[in-house]
Order: sequence, then C-alpha cells, then structure tokens
Amino acid sequence: MKIVVPVKQVAALDEEFELLDDGSGVDPDFLEWDLNEWDTFSMEAALQIRENADGDGHEVVVVTVGDEEAEEGLLSCLAKGADRALRIWDESLQGADVLAVAKVLAAAVERESPDLVLCGVQSSDAVYGATGVALAGYLDLPHVAVVKGLDYDAAQATATVERELEGGLVEVLRVEAPALLTIQTGINEPRYATLRAIKQAREKPLQVSDLADLGLEEDAVGQAAGSRAVALKPPEPGEGAEMLNGSPAAVAARIVEIVQERMSG
Amino acid sequence: MFLLAATKSRPVFWHFTTPLKVLWYVLAVLSVLVFLYGVARPIVKWRRGHGGPWPPYPWRELPRRLATGLRLLLSHATIARRDHLAGWAHRGIFYGFIVLFAGTVVLGFNTDFTDPVFGWNYFHGNFYLAYKETLNVLGTVLIAGVLAMMVRRALIRPRKLDYARPDRNSDDSQFDRRVYEVGDWAFVVILLVIALTGFVLEGVRIAMDAPGYAGTQFGGWVVAQIIGGLSHSTLAGLRHGLWWFHGLLAIAFVASIPYTKAAHMLTSYLSLSLRDRLAGKRLRAIPPERADLPAGYGALSDFSPLHLMNLDACTKCGKCHEACPANATGRPLSPRDVILELREQANHAFTAGGIGGVLGGLINEQANGDGFTAGVIGEDGVRTETVWSCMQCNACVEACPVGIEQAPIINQLRRRLVEEGELDANLQSVLQVIHKSGNSFGENRRKRGRWTQELEFQVKDARKEPVDVLWFVGDYASFDPRSQKVTRALARLFQEASVDFGILYDGERNSGNDVRRIGEEGLFESLAEQNIATIEKCEFNRIVTSDPHSLNTLRNEYPDLGASWTVAHHTTLLRELIESGRLDVKGRLSYRVTYHDPCHLGRFNGEYDHPRRILELLGCTLVEMPRNRDNSFCCGAGGGRIWIPDTPGQERPSENRIREAVSLPGVELFVVSCPKDVTMYEDAIKTSGNAERIQLRELTELIEEALVPATQLVPA
Ligand code: SF4
Ligand code: SF4
Repeated sequence: MKIVVPVKQVAALDEEFELLDDGSGVDPDFLEWDLNEWDTFSMEAALQIRENADGDGHEVVVVTVGDEEAEEGLLSCLAKGADRALRIWDESLQGADVLAVAKVLAAAVERESPDLVLCGVQSSDAVYGATGVALAGYLDLPHVAVVKGLDYDAAQATATVERELEGGLVEVLRVEAPALLTIQTGINEPRYATLRAIKQAREKPLQVSDLADLGLEEDAVGQAAGSRAVALKPPEPGEGAEMLNGSPAAVAARIVEIVQERMSG
Repeated sequence: MFLLAATKSRPVFWHFTTPLKVLWYVLAVLSVLVFLYGVARPIVKWRRGHGGPWPPYPWRELPRRLATGLRLLLSHATIARRDHLAGWAHRGIFYGFIVLFAGTVVLGFNTDFTDPVFGWNYFHGNFYLAYKETLNVLGTVLIAGVLAMMVRRALIRPRKLDYARPDRNSDDSQFDRRVYEVGDWAFVVILLVIALTGFVLEGVRIAMDAPGYAGTQFGGWVVAQIIGGLSHSTLAGLRHGLWWFHGLLAIAFVASIPYTKAAHMLTSYLSLSLRDRLAGKRLRAIPPERADLPAGYGALSDFSPLHLMNLDACTKCGKCHEACPANATGRPLSPRDVILELREQANHAFTAGGIGGVLGGLINEQANGDGFTAGVIGEDGVRTETVWSCMQCNACVEACPVGIEQAPIINQLRRRLVEEGELDANLQSVLQVIHKSGNSFGENRRKRGRWTQELEFQVKDARKEPVDVLWFVGDYASFDPRSQKVTRALARLFQEASVDFGILYDGERNSGNDVRRIGEEGLFESLAEQNIATIEKCEFNRIVTSDPHSLNTLRNEYPDLGASWTVAHHTTLLRELIESGRLDVKGRLSYRVTYHDPCHLGRFNGEYDHPRRILELLGCTLVEMPRNRDNSFCCGAGGGRIWIPDTPGQERPSENRIREAVSLPGVELFVVSCPKDVTMYEDAIKTSGNAERIQLRELTELIEEALVPATQLVPA
C-alpha cells in the first residue's frame, strides 16, 4: 500500500508587517514559515493507516511544490515517519496558482500510483481549499472533501469516511481506492517530531525534481494557471470607527463617555 | 579459669570440642562467601545498563571519592539534615555497629592469625579491659539508637515513613508495601537481638568467672546481677547456647547484608561516594555512541550503570518524598516511589545465572539482560502522569542523604516520552513554537528587544559594540507584559548606576533550560548552540541575567557545549551596585517582607544571600517562611509544568506557597527574584484569595522604589 501526502510550507504573518514596494506581496522579512496546519493532520492520518495495516512494504510519500524554504516542512514529515519525500521546484513556479500547482502535483503523484492521496482541506495562507480537489480532477480520482473521520481497510482497499454536515449531521461515505481525500483539522492528534528526529531525517531519501524531470513543459503549467495575484493591500478603514488610544484608564473613561452619549442620545 | 581471669582475658572458645570449632570456622567462611556473592551480584546487574559509562567515573577517581564519601558518612551531615532525631539514632546504630564489628575483627585477628601464627596474643591485660569498655559503651549506644528508631517507626510515625504510594490507588496490588515494613522491622529487631545477646553472654561469663573487673563491662555486670543466682550448670548451658545463638546470628547477619535492607550499608555508601555535585543542575548529554538510539530511558538496559546503582542505594528514608512539591500538592508522584518502582522492576528482571554467571558478568563486556529490555513506563510501571507531574525542581536530589539522582532519572524517562509523542498537547505546541520562533511566547523574534522602546534611553546591542555586562534577558523577562515592567526597572537601575550593558535583541533564543528539563534534548542542543554562536561573537566581561533558569543552563550546562563565561544573577550585580554606593538606596524602605528562593537560583546554584542582603540594605525586615533556602518550595513552573494545564480543583504549588507566606504575621510583601515567579505568584495571590493580604514585588522593583522619591512614583 502506498499513500501520497501533498503538503505545503505556508507563511505566517507577524502582527506588524510591510508589503513589498510593488505591492505584489508581503516583505519576506516579516514572514515565518511553517508546515500548513491542515497538512499535519493529513500526514498523521497517513501514518496511522500505515501503522495499522498488516504486513510490511507500506509506504508514505510526502510531496511538496516549493523552494528550499519548504524543505524544513518535509524534514518534519520525514521525522514523524514518512518514508521518503519529494520536492518539486522550478523558478517558473514562483507565484503559481492553485491549478498550476495541482497540475505539477498530478504529474508527480501519477508516477507514484498510490492507493490513497491525502491532502489538507486548505492552506492557511492562501485559503483556496482547491488544490486537493483540483488534483483529484487532474488524476481522475474519486475524492471526498473535508473528511472528519477516516477508516481505511487495506485488504478491501476501501475507505470509510465521515463528513460533518449542517446541523451536526454526519455523512458516512465509502470510497474505493485509489482515491483522494482532503482532511479536516481535528481528525486526529498529530504527533511531535523531536529535533533529534528532524536531524536524523536528513538521512532519509529526499528527492528534488524540476518540471523537466516530471516531463512537464513550462508552458503547459503556465496555461493551467487560471489566475495570478496582482496586488495585496490592507482593507480600507471603514467609516464611523473611532480608535481609542492612551492609557487603559483613559480608554476606559472614553468608553464610559461613549456609552453615556449613546444612552442619552 | 582463675589464671585467665587473673590475666584479665577470656577464652574465645570456652570448653569447645575440636569438631565444634571446625564447624564454627566452616560456617564463618561460608558466611563470608555468601556475603561476597551478594556483593558481586548487583554489580553485574548495574553493568546491564548501557546508558552510560562503566565505571561511572574513571577508577583512579575512586579512592578520592570513597574518602569524600567516608567523610560525609562519618559526619552524618546528609542523614541528620532536617531530621535530628533520625540523625542521632542513626549515628548510634552506625558507630555502635562499626565498633562492635571492628571489635569482632580485632578478636578474630588475634585468635585466628597473630596467636596461632606468631604466638602473639594481645587479647589480655589492659588492652582487653579497654576493649571491653569500648565495646560496652558502643553496644549501649547501638541499642539506644535502635530503640530510638523503633519508637520513631512505631509511635512518632513521621509522614515520610508512610509507604503509601501517591501514584497508585489503595486498591492497586502494587500499593501494598508490607514487605518493606517487615524488612524494616526485621532489620532493627535483629540488630537489637545481636547486641542484647552479646550483653547477656557477657553477664553469664561474669557470673560464672567473677573476674573482679566487671566494672568496665557494665552491660554484662547488670545482667550478672540478675542471673547471678542460677546454678553453675545452668549458666554453663546458657553460656554455650548463647554463644552459638549470638555467633550464628551474627554470621548469618553478615551473610545477609547484601540481600536485605542492610545492603544500604554498602550501596548507599557507594552511591554517596559517586555523587555528582552537579546532579540535576547539569543534565547529561546523550552519549555519542547512543546518538542513533531512542533517547532517554524506556527500558532498564537504557539506564546508566550509575543510575541502576542509585536504585539499589535507596534507604526508603522518605526525605525526598517529604520535600517533593508534587507530592505535597497531591500529584501522583513521589520521587521515592519512582526509585523503588524502578528498583523492583530491576530486581524482578535480573537473573544472575549463579556463581558462574556473576563471575562472567564481572569480567566480560557489559551483557544484555533478558528482562532488561521490557518497558519501564506504563500502567504497571512508572506511569506517564507520574513522569509529567515532576517540576524538575531538584528538591529530591538535594534532600537525598545518599546521592540518588531522582530528578535526572525522571528527566531521562521524559526524553523517551517526548520521543514517543507521549506528552501533553499544550506542551507539544509550546515546543513547536520554541523551535519555530526561538521563544516560548510564539512572538516574532524581532520583537524580543521591543520592551526597550518605552525606555528614555537606548539599550546597546551587544552584538554590535563591546559592553562590560552582556544582559541575557530570557523569554519571560522579554515578552511577558508584567515581567517587562521589572525588566525596564532593571534597565533603569543599570543606567542610573552607569553600568555599561547591552542585550542581544533578536539574536537571543530561549536558553533551553526548561526545554531540556521537559526532555526535548535535541531542541535544547539546538537552542544552546545558537545562543553560544551569538554570544561567542560579542565582546563582554560577564553575563548577567534576571532569569535563574537561564542562569543555570548558561552557567552549568553550556560549558559542556564549549562555553566558558562568568554568569551572574542580577541580584549579585545589584548588591555590588548598592554596596559600592552606585545605587543610593540604603535604608530607604521599611517593609516587612518574606522572600521566596527560586529553585534555579537557590538549590541549583547555592545563591541565597545576595537577595537577602539587598533586602537588609534597603531597610526591609525579612521574615523567613518555614521552607526557605535549600528547602524552598517550587512555584510549580519548573520542568515545563508552566505549560501543562493544571487539573482543576487541585491545589497548585504556588497557592500552597502563598498560604505559607500569609501565615507569617504582618508580612506585606512577597518578594521574588525570578520572572517566572512573578507570573506564578501574581496569579496565585489572586486565585488563593489573598490579594488583600499580600502583594508581590520583584526585588528590582523594590530597589527602584527606594531610588525614586515617593512623589515621583508612577502608579503601576
Ligand atoms: S524534581 Fe521536584 S517535583 Fe520532581 S520528583 Fe524531585 S522533588 Fe518532586
Ligand atoms: S531516594 Fe534518597 S531521599 Fe528518597 S527515600 Fe530513597 S534514600 Fe531517601
């Protein structure tokens, strides 16, 4: 059995940050990189399926599209127990959108011909929630999105999954492998990777490929792209808000004033 | 007979037939052999531990260590500490036993060696009388000691001798510790019987021989007065019977020493001699040869031989049980029971393989024991909640009279749990946050120096220009809003006293002290390496920190990674500044205060006096809490516990401490000198409902108050 887990190294913003001069993004000085939270759950789900399966020869492969910054995230997945990692990067992928990334992932996943592909529901920085589903589309795999419960029967090659619906209803679905699932947070408790394990993970196989290695043309990826980010900007401040500054005492006094004004008015 | 009495001596073997003498010698030799086997056996067991070197220290250190251990033992300092009754009673038993034992050896040396070989018999005359006198006195001392211990066990029943396990329910099979009680009582009773029969035997001899110098043998003399009326033949029968009873009991006792509670005479002395002065203060790195193995202790074979030996050395004295703040606040942890649990497991798992096995085990490479690979952590072993209840406060190590390393052993168990992901979810995310951002607050590293922005002056960047004092600020002092006030106050004091100081700004990382105590050794190493690399590039004379946790690891642990700096606590520097007059604050205050010794400053680093002296210089009256200095009570933040949510409804150690403080008459201020204490006690004062009765001050704040004329004080 083989499970492929596509992951993403996401950027977290400091409270105060500055945009790049051309307005196309955030100044990287203000970013901290980390593995996408959703992906820690899909990774854990994959590891648990492998651990619960009988026999040997099961494999968990972690894949990412990203520059060297993304390697740290792969290492933590390897440290937790992934068997090998694959990082795909090409300068032309800078700023690639969901569809472009899904297309690249599809080329890589296809070569692995896994039984399961487990994605996170979404990434915390881009918040599209589309990469997994698009990937299923490219791979022509059945998929279930926003999975809250997962039970995989390796012998039958079927997954029984649960989704949460409106009103607390739980939908139970059965899907035959190969299939793609996007995993919701809270489905399990992701394990901790010690720093020693992360260091030791450097010994595990981590392959770096570019587009050519995957038999992809730059153009093909470019054409897949549906959109490109042109600008990033803070929201316009709305009308009618008054910012209260000063010492806590002064702020409190002003609040009392406002409340009294409104109540009398 | 008369002749003998006149020469002031006595026959050793009185009216013995040769076969009886032979029997006696056979038994005596046998007893020594059984004793030796019993001594060798545990050594083989300790060598089954692979987690550290054997011998624990180079052999050449052994004589010096044994001498130091002996000095400690003779003084009884560690035994008498915090328990004078037990100290005196143990002294009586110890010295009584040693002298009676030595007396027997002296006699044996005469009877079996000097007399038959050289015809030299020194066992008569004044030597004999002095011998008898000494043995009489010490025999009496021994009996007094044993009786005192019996009274203590049966009537006084101190809490520390209660074997109830806080880590087990009373319906748990492992809760039953009656075996230990039987062993304890058998030990004292046998000692008593041996000593008493010695006196009775002496009395019979005096009654029969009437040697005329009985005054030196007052013990026997008393007995002789009682039994003097018995007929000669009764006395003779008694004399034979008693001689054999006393003698057999004594040699049986010798043979049994390594197998019973008496083993502590050997193991505890050894453990005390091999004691590591830095135990718990400097945790041990993972040995390079074990780098690829799972970290820490999961099975007995992972233990270091030193720690396996520690397990055998425990006397069940309960000093650590009493000192442990986790135990005192109802957590499922007693360091004593961790040690005893592990010892039971080791003894259960160990099979020596007979005499051949023991000899082989002594000579051969360290072997693998079959049972030694089974897990020690679990429902029937040391439970995970027990391991995580520990605050790594080192009170147990400090209290242990025989040098056992409870806290470091618990830390090794944690290393394994962390590796296996068996840790609290909250703690896990804090570790991840520290790994990511270099601080436990999850703040962007560039914010580390932001507390300086509210100062009226610029704080130097020690990475960019040379400074006299490199101030290692630490996480809490840098990021916690309440502690930031203290940090700024300290900066102003330094400025006022024209101290040339600087900080590392975003170059500083969490020092790793608590990370290491949580058991995340890899993260500790990485943090320490980053800090060392940063500090190494700076030019400075000494490091000062207000955080005792950082102080401890920078001072005691970084040297193992190549650092060698002078590291001082801010209270040291402040005292210098006040005493030299650079801070003009003497006698300005008149508060009645109490002072809490932070574990990492006091117990870990022996610094008790600077903060007290500062309080005195300020004019404050210090009222000590009952648990002070080395017996200080952990605030509950140590060992990562600050990041593990408390079980609701349980008393927190910090609240326990505040209750201790408010019980002191008239104390207005609770003074601390650690940023974590500021957080913990500020909170505990409120949650224990004592906000009206006592207020918290960091020592720095008091100095600042003394410096600024009252009218200029800004309300906090
Ligand atoms: S270190 Fe402190 S909390 Fe831990 S066992 Fe020892 S005394 Fe108890
Ligand atoms: S570990 Fe030390 S202090 Fe604790 S009971 Fe044993 S001998 Fe006493």
